[in-house]
Amino acid sequence: MKVRIKNWTGVASWRWIANDDNCGICRMAFDGCCPDCKLPGDDCPLVWGQCSHCFHMHCIVKWLQSQTVNQQCPMCRQEWKFNNK
Amino acid sequence: MSLKPRRVDFHATWGAIKDTIKGVITLDHVPRSVWNDRFSDVYSLCVAHPEPMADRLYAETKLYLIDHVGKLLSKVQEDGEQNLLKNYFLYWSQYSVGSQYLHSLYLYLNQQHIRTQKLSDAEIIYGSSDSSGGLQILVQFEKSSCNVCKRYTKVLHTLSDIYRYNDNSFNLTKVLLHIKGLQVLALFEKSVCRLCSQCCKILTSLFEICPCSDTICNINKVLIRFKGEQMEIGELALEVWQSGMIAPLGQKLVKLLLEAIDQDRAGQTLSTSIEAVRGTILSFVEVQGYRKKGQLQLYQELFEEHFLDASGEHFKRDAARLLQEKNVSLYMEKVKAKIEEELFRARRFLHVSSLAKVSARCEMHMVAEHLQFLYSECMNMVQGERCKDLSNMYDLLKGIQNAITVLVDTVLDHIKTQGLAAIGNLQGENIHIGFVENLLAVYKKYKKLIQDVFKSDQNFMGALDKACSSVINHRPNQGKSPCRSPELLAKYCDTLLKKSSKGISESEVDEKLAESIIIFKYIDDKDVFQKFYSRMLAKRLIHQQTQSMDAEEAMINRLKQACGYEFTSKLHRMFTDMSVSSDLNNKFNAFLKQDNIDLGINFSIYVLQAGAWPLGQAIVTPFALPQQLEKSVQMFESFYHNRFNGRKLTWLHHLCQAELKLGYLKKPYVVTVQTFQMAILLLFENADKLACREIKDTLQLNPEQFQRHVVSLIESKLLLADTEELTPETVLKLNMEYSNKRTKFRITAAVQKETPHEVEQTMNSVEEDRKMYLQAAIVRIMKSRKVLKHNLLIQEVYAQSKKSFAPSVQLIKKSIESLIDKQYIERTPHSSEEYSYIA
Repeated sequence: MKVRIKNWTGVASWRWIANDDNCGICRMAFDGCCPDCKLPGDDCPLVWGQCSHCFHMHCIVKWLQSQTVNQQCPMCRQEWKFNNK
Repeated sequence: MSLKPRRVDFHATWGAIKDTIKGVITLDHVPRSVWNDRFSDVYSLCVAHPEPMADRLYAETKLYLIDHVGKLLSKVQEDGEQNLLKNYFLYWSQYSVGSQYLHSLYLYLNQQHIRTQKLSDAEIIYGSSDSSGGLQILVQFEKSSCNVCKRYTKVLHTLSDIYRYNDNSFNLTKVLLHIKGLQVLALFEKSVCRLCSQCCKILTSLFEICPCSDTICNINKVLIRFKGEQMEIGELALEVWQSGMIAPLGQKLVKLLLEAIDQDRAGQTLSTSIEAVRGTILSFVEVQGYRKKGQLQLYQELFEEHFLDASGEHFKRDAARLLQEKNVSLYMEKVKAKIEEELFRARRFLHVSSLAKVSARCEMHMVAEHLQFLYSECMNMVQGERCKDLSNMYDLLKGIQNAITVLVDTVLDHIKTQGLAAIGNLQGENIHIGFVENLLAVYKKYKKLIQDVFKSDQNFMGALDKACSSVINHRPNQGKSPCRSPELLAKYCDTLLKKSSKGISESEVDEKLAESIIIFKYIDDKDVFQKFYSRMLAKRLIHQQTQSMDAEEAMINRLKQACGYEFTSKLHRMFTDMSVSSDLNNKFNAFLKQDNIDLGINFSIYVLQAGAWPLGQAIVTPFALPQQLEKSVQMFESFYHNRFNGRKLTWLHHLCQAELKLGYLKKPYVVTVQTFQMAILLLFENADKLACREIKDTLQLNPEQFQRHVVSLIESKLLLADTEELTPETVLKLNMEYSNKRTKFRITAAVQKETPHEVEQTMNSVEEDRKMYLQAAIVRIMKSRKVLKHNLLIQEVYAQSKKSFAPSVQLIKKSIESLIDKQYIERTPHSSEEYSYIA
C-alpha cells in the first residue's frame, strides 16, 4: 500500500430536522430555543408527537400541563403521544 | 463660718474683694487663706439677706475690670510705638492668665447666678425666637446710625444704670414713666429702623409688667435683655479687654503686626520677638474663645482680612518680579517654594484656620492670574515629557477651578499622537504583534507617568482612556478605511494561544493575554472582535492547535468579565461541544467493540452544534468520499441517528484532517493533511500518473478547492506536475524521490490563513448581526414604551448596543425602516418624528 490512512478526524455539524422552521407554540425558530431558555442545543431539545408535529420540549410540556381534559396536539387536535422511536 | 444667708455690708466686703482681685489679675502673690476668705465672700454676697447682691457684685467687678484695663492701656502705650507689640503681649499674657484665676474665684457667682440666666447651648447655636432681639441691645444702639436710636441711647443708659444700683422698684418705675412721657414708644413705632422696632417690643412688655408689679425679678429679666446678658467672670474679663484694649489699639497693632510679617518675608530679623507677634495675633482669637459661635470673628475682621489683602499685594509684586525671567519652569519652581514658605510662615504666626486661605490667595495671585503664561509652555513640557515641570504644573493648577483642563487636553493630544505613531508604520507578517505590544507600551508608559506625575488624578486617567480609545478606534484615511484593531487583537490572542508560540512560558502567555484585555476594553467594535476571535478559536479547537485548554478558558473568562455573559456564550458553547464530542467518541468506540466492527482506520469525530460555531454556510462543497472512509462515516451516521432523534448531520470535509502513512518512499513518513488532500493522494494508490481532469471528476471537487489543494501538494513536493500552469490536461505523479529530514510533518494548507476573502466575509456577517441586534433592540424598546420620539429611540438603542459596538445613526435608521416594512412599528399619524409599536 502506497498510502494508508492512519487516523481520520471528522468534523460534522448537526441541526434539528423538523417539518417546520418554527415551534408552533412559541413561534421561535427550532434553531433557537424556547423563550424560557437562554441557549439552544442539548438543554432545550425538540420532541415529536406521533402525529409528526414537532415542538420545543419545554413548550409542549407546558401546554400539556395547562390542558385539564384531553391532551391534544395543539396543531392537529389529535391525542398527543410522544413519538419514541 | 455659716453658709446661711445673712445681712452683709456690701461696701466692706467689696473693698476686701477688690484688693484681692487686684492681686489675682496681676498674678501677684495671694495667700491661700485670703483666697479662701474671698471665695466665701463672693458666696455670702450672692446669698445675702434680704436681697441677694450678686448683680451688684457683678456690676462692681465689671467696673473694676474696665478701670484696670484702662490703666493697662496707658501702660501699653507708654513706651511708644516700637514697644507697643512687646508691651501688649506682656500685659495680655498676664491678664489672660489672671482672668482665668479670677474666674475660679467667682465660681459660685458663675455657677449659681449667671448660668441660670444663660441661654442654653441649643438656643445659642440654633437661635431662639425671642432672645436674639434683646441681646446686647444697648451696644447695638450705640453703634446704630438711626436718629431715633441715638436720641434715646442716653435714656436707656440711665435706665440700665438705675438698674445696676436699684434696691427698689420705685426709681425704675419713675424712669419708665419718664420714658413714657417722652412718647418714645410712638417714635419707635414710626421708625423704620429694625432696632427701634425690636426695642419697641421689649419696652411694651416692660411697661406691661412694671407699674403694677412689685416683683422686681421679672423686670430684671427684661432689663437684662437691654443690657446684654451677664457673663461669667472669665468671659467678662476677656470682653472688657476686647472693648477696652483691642478696640482702641487694634488698628495700630495690626499695622505693626503686618510690618513684622513683612520684615520676616524680607528675611530681616524681627524688631519684636516672634513669640510676641504670634501671641498678639492669637490673642484676637483667644479673647473670643469663650464664644460658642463665631470665635474667629474678631480675628478675621480685625486681622486676617488685612493680612490677606496685604499679602495679596505682596504676592502680586512677587509674581511680577518672577515673571520677568520669562522662564516657566523656573517660575513654577519659585512659586511652589513661595507657597511652601508662606504656609510655613502662616504656621508660625497665624491661627490654623488661615493656612488654607493664605495658600489660596497665593495661588490666586501667582498662578490663576498668570495662567496664559503657564499655558504657553504647556505644550513643550508635555511633548518633552518633562516630568518635574509637569508635576510642578499639576501641583499649581489643581487648586484652581478649571485651570487643569488645558493641561489635561494637552496630555490627551500628546498620548494620542504617540499612540498613533506607535501603530502607524507597521508592516510585514506580524503587524498584529507590533500593534498590540506597541499600544500596550504606550499605555503603560503614560499610565505610569500619570501615576507618578499627576498622582493618578481622575482627570488625567480620563484623558488616558479617551486617548487610547481614539487611537484604538482610529480609522485611517480620514475614517474611510475600517478600523483593524479588533482583527489585529484577535490575531494577537490567536498567536499566543496557538501551539506554535515557542519560547514563551505559560505564565508569560497568561500575562500577555491579561494585558490584551486592556486594549480590548477600549475597542468600540467588540462584536467584530468576537467574530474574529470565535473563528480563530474554532480553528484552534478543530485543528487541535490549542496550546492549553486552561489558557483558553482563562481568556474567555476574562472576556466574560469585561463584556458579560452574552458576549461569550457562543464561545462557551464551543467548549461544551468539544467535551461532548470526546464523550461521543468514547461511546462510539465502545459500540464498535461491542459489535466487533473494524473500520480499518482510527476514527474520531467532532460533532458541532450548527448555531454556535462560525462555520459559514457557503463552504459546504460537493465531495465524493474516498471508499476507505465510507464505512466509518456510515457507521457513525447510523450510530448517531440512533442516539439522537431528529438531528441532521452535515459533514464539514474542509475541516476534517487525516494522518497518512506514506509507504512508497525510502523512509516511512507520517503526514498530516486535510481530507481533500488525502483524497487526492489516495487516488495514486492504483495509478502512477493521473491527469488533473481525472482527479477532479472522481472527487467531484469544485475547481477552486481542487486548485488550492493540488497546488499545496505540488508546493510541498509530494506531487510533481509536468507543466508550470495547471490545466485540466496537466499530468500529476507521485514524487518517488521525496525526502524530508522530519518523518512527521504537516502540509500547511493555504486555507488555514485568513484570506482577504474571509476577512470580508467576517465583516459582512458582523454587519448582518448588527442589523439583527439593532432590530431586536428597537422592538424591545418599543414594546415597553409603546410610543416614542425618534431621537429618544435612537438614544436608547445607542445606549443598549454601546456595550458591544457603536452603531451609526444611519444604521439605526435603516433598521427602523425595515421594521416599519415588516409592520412591527409604524409612524404615528400626527407626527412623522414619532413611532408606535404594533402589538
